[in-house]
Amino acid sequence: MVTLALLQIKNFSFSYPRSAQPALQGINISVEKGEFIGITGPTGAGKSTLTYCLNGIIPHFQGGSCQGRISLGGASIFDRSPAQISRLVGSVFQDPEAQIISPEVEQELAFGPENLGFPPAEIEQRIGKALELAGIPGLRNRPTVNLSGGEKQRVAIAAALAMLPEILVLDEPTSELDPVGTDEIFQVLNLLNKEHGMTIIMVEQKTEQLAAYADRILVFNEGRIALEGEPRQVFARRRELEQIGVRIPQVARLAGLLGGYERCTLPLTVEEGHLYLESILRR
Amino acid sequence: MQRKARIKVEKLTYHYGSGQPVLKNISFETGKGECIALIGQNGAGKTTLAKHFNGLHRPSSGKVYIDGIDTTSTKVSELARKVGFVFQNPDHQIFHDTVAREVAFGLRNLRLSRREIEERTAAALEAVGLTEHCRTYPFNLSKGQRQRIALASVLAMQTETIVLDEPTTGQDFRESVQIMEIVRKLNENGHTIIFITHDMSLVARYARRVLVLCRGEILADGDVRSVFAAPEILKKTYLRPPQITNLARCLGRHSIPPDVLGVRELYELLVKMRSEKIGCCS
Amino acid sequence: MAAVAEYISRNSPIHRLNPLTKMIWALSILGVGLLFNDYRYLLALLASVLLVAAAAGVLRSLLPAAAGLTVFALILLLIQALFYGQGQVLFYLVPVSNRLAVTGPGLLSGIAMAARMMALVLSFLIFLATTRTRDIVLTLVEKLKVPYDYAFMFMTALRFIPAFFSEVRQVSEAQQARAYAVEGWNPVKKIRAYAPVAVPLVLLSLNKADQLAMAMETRGYSGGLRTCLREAKMGVADYGLSVLLALLLVGSAAARLAGYGLM
Repeated sequence: MVTLALLQIKNFSFSYPRSAQPALQGINISVEKGEFIGITGPTGAGKSTLTYCLNGIIPHFQGGSCQGRISLGGASIFDRSPAQISRLVGSVFQDPEAQIISPEVEQELAFGPENLGFPPAEIEQRIGKALELAGIPGLRNRPTVNLSGGEKQRVAIAAALAMLPEILVLDEPTSELDPVGTDEIFQVLNLLNKEHGMTIIMVEQKTEQLAAYADRILVFNEGRIALEGEPRQVFARRRELEQIGVRIPQVARLAGLLGGYERCTLPLTVEEGHLYLESILRR
Repeated sequence: MQRKARIKVEKLTYHYGSGQPVLKNISFETGKGECIALIGQNGAGKTTLAKHFNGLHRPSSGKVYIDGIDTTSTKVSELARKVGFVFQNPDHQIFHDTVAREVAFGLRNLRLSRREIEERTAAALEAVGLTEHCRTYPFNLSKGQRQRIALASVLAMQTETIVLDEPTTGQDFRESVQIMEIVRKLNENGHTIIFITHDMSLVARYARRVLVLCRGEILADGDVRSVFAAPEILKKTYLRPPQITNLARCLGRHSIPPDVLGVRELYELLVKMRSEKIGCCS
Repeated sequence: MAAVAEYISRNSPIHRLNPLTKMIWALSILGVGLLFNDYRYLLALLASVLLVAAAAGVLRSLLPAAAGLTVFALILLLIQALFYGQGQVLFYLVPVSNRLAVTGPGLLSGIAMAARMMALVLSFLIFLATTRTRDIVLTLVEKLKVPYDYAFMFMTALRFIPAFFSEVRQVSEAQQARAYAVEGWNPVKKIRAYAPVAVPLVLLSLNKADQLAMAMETRGYSGGLRTCLREAKMGVADYGLSVLLALLLVGSAAARLAGYGLM
């Protein structure tokens, strides 16, 4: 049986107006329903541009020229209106301060469904569900100003979930957060993905956590996909990653130096590293 | 001769308006040439404390001395000659149309001669690797490059102490390393460095002394190894030592010390162990 | 100052009123305040406004704002007292040379103006402190038929006021740290001093507006047909109070025409 991928990007290239260098070149990605895709790479590699192509910012908000095809749920994304895309793709951006629109949490979650013209009873239901999924039912009646960074980003995630999207696209959502906030975000995303089958595409610099949670990692460099695969395969490519400028999880780097691990079992977390070193030391 | 403390904080307490104290009874000194990391979760008071080092905040009670000068009676623009401060977001300060002019801004405020301004600007741009961009419009550069402009504009002022508030937040790995390598060089050239960060691997790699803040109080103050070897203290302010330190702690029964800071270090320890093992068996 | 114009969460009867009722109340204070110029009437009006603040449990939170207003009120009082000119001289501000006379009627008229100004401003602040922004927007859109885009602009402006002030502070601190002296009173310097603070602020705000627009776009904001989660309901108390306020306004106008409340 052939399963159709939820998101299919084929030979896709994109250039910003007045720019000689294409921002994205020959991108091919296929994402199945329920996958957690991590995207990393240096600044200017085209990661954010790709998220803009997925959530309709390009071409509706920002111009440019593109080639190739992006299809979501079987139809081309460029044939859809921004409102249609907003139902399919939930978006979370980098700056918690700049993406929260409303003074209150409930209103922030209602904003999207209200724009789509749903009846109040349905909006109510979506808000309750989204707050629960993001683990913040207690924040419902709070003003958004004095939430912590991690709370603000979870509100942003909940607001995206209230649109009941097919896929969640996050562009460096933890870059402004402290370790507590970062953990909060990864835990929520992990739960969404594992328990509720949400498809997630996350651009992220914090590779230690990304390696622990993502099913697949894409490393972008200069507008192209430089490396792709399961975290263990990708982080085994030490030389290429160092050359591109991607941080390798410390445990993986140590294992890379020591060698002696089986193929496809590169340790990524402290626990895995511990088991691996015990086996090495026993030899 | 006694070593002169660059920054001396005595029983500092600070609160905004009439609210709860944000900093409680903080005392410490920095010596010349130290490299100190200030860590703690958001809201612990790191930035508030740092802003006392150049007079942006004045203690509600207690004293802060910079080179023996009491900050309460000195203007911020005066203290700027003693302590440079690099803020988290470079876009909060950049407003000139070229990189060189931006870097010269502080020097013009110090009313230096034109020649001196030009020389210092050129030297600062060289130090951060932006010489070729001296005539570029700052906003045509990347965020990481803009952070280096902000850093250059502070180090051109040739202050003894440089404070950096989360200099690598929002930067990619390579940019972070670039900035921290510049910081390392500044420290080697005799500058006292105090930096705030959430990235424990940067602390392990670049700092020698760590101040841990938690809810406005100093939880720990010591060299990096001793602080990271006591994760239960860090846990109180929701911080974790770097992955590699945590891994080393699991290997106690193989007589690996619990205060390993870097991948290289653990690697060399393990290689040495292996060769010793082979040595004793043969 | 960040607390001014911010919603203060309480569970008071005032908070539970419909925003429209509170708008009518603030407008009635404006109307009554402008009708009379007898200081006794205006002091009574101010007292009534403070009573409402106390009933809403926001009096304490409004104190800093009220203290700021008092400074303005005193200046107003002084100007009015000095330049009124007529009536019996009570005392001289510069006693030796008999300069700057303060007359009895001047002082009373000064008090009247100060009380009026404080009543009007405080009533508006009480309205904002007791009404959630979302309910104001709702009332504007549903009851007063203001187009959603404008109501939304109003709401967003309120939402970003605190963030804006914190950015002003951060930018000016960043420049001070580069030996930039914002201190001092020279007005020419003050005006030239704006560039280092204003330019980054404008750029930051443009950037923020851009990001906000992207966030809105990805949440389906397109000017199509829109629904509202909440409804702006008028209760019995709302209708009752609105009628009472209308009667008060009509009564005041009649009293004024009959010659009451004038000095």
